[in-house]
Amino acid sequence: MTAPTDMKFLIVDDFSTMRRIVRGLLKEIGYLNAEEAEDGAVALQMLKNAKFDFVVSDINMPNMNGFELLSQIKKDDGLKHLPVLMVTAEARKEDIVRAAQDGAAGYIVKPFTKATLEEKVQKIMLKLAATA
Amino acid sequence: MNMNEIAELTTTKASPEVFQQLGTITRQLHDALHQLGVMPKLQKAADGIPDARSRLNYIAEKTGAAANRVLNLVDQAKGEHARIAEQTRAIAQSIVADPVKAVASGSLMNFVGDVESATQRIDQHLTDIMMAQDFHDLTGQVVAKVVALAGDLEDSLIKLLVQAAPAEHAKVVEATLNGPVVNPEGRTDVVANQSEVDDLLASLGF
Repeated sequence: MTAPTDMKFLIVDDFSTMRRIVRGLLKEIGYLNAEEAEDGAVALQMLKNAKFDFVVSDINMPNMNGFELLSQIKKDDGLKHLPVLMVTAEARKEDIVRAAQDGAAGYIVKPFTKATLEEKVQKIMLKLAATA
Repeated sequence: MNMNEIAELTTTKASPEVFQQLGTITRQLHDALHQLGVMPKLQKAADGIPDARSRLNYIAEKTGAAANRVLNLVDQAKGEHARIAEQTRAIAQSIVADPVKAVASGSLMNFVGDVESATQRIDQHLTDIMMAQDFHDLTGQVVAKVVALAGDLEDSLIKLLVQAAPAEHAKVVEATLNGPVVNPEGRTDVVANQSEVDDLLASLGF
């Protein structure tokens, strides 16, 4: 398994500032290797072209939203093992339940703190390590 | 009615009677709008939509530029801070190892000079970060205008809906994705914070 600090993240959000914030927070947490995609369609292409270990995705995006991206990832045999952490402003319970049922590894509502992101990422890592 | 049904209707070759009926309905709707007295207000609000779009673009650009400016400045300030921290550790080691040499070689004074320069640069970054917040005042004013415009449009459309919508079509369909919840108080369909998300997921066994 890839060492935690070497893990490669894909941050998916249509707002460049949010991508930068998530990337900056991941860097502070200790994950230095991250790339960015501005929507689900771009993200899916990137995931198919290169190896990633973790996806942090917004939901409300143009072209392909986070739910569609999650569904595509879970349908693809080569990608379905990837943990997907949803980081979104969508706060409706039905969206949260849908994300969990569709296979999201975690769900964070915006605005969020560094502590919340760190806690969720670590929790997902521990789960992955336990099932590896 | 879904998009396929609409598409089917539009591709069906309609008879002249259907067009005549459509014309009559359109005329009735036009007259009804005038009789309702909402047309001038609706017209005014509709005319304001392109302006509202540009105002919203302005807000997006202004806030995006400010956020990027702040993030750049924070990156620079953190870099300065990291360098000072590293130099502090190095000079501390020099002093512990040989205090006389540390002073005599000029390392200590060089360090003091570096710290002073770095703090001036960091102070400038902080000032620039503060100044980058000026978008708030500008966008706040623009937001107020857009909200007023949206209010006018909403009033007009509600009047139209109440008067014109058949009962079976009156149901308001919510968008699939709603974005941030501005007022979660009193709502049971949304969560207000991260702990409620965690509780909900835990209750479902996730």
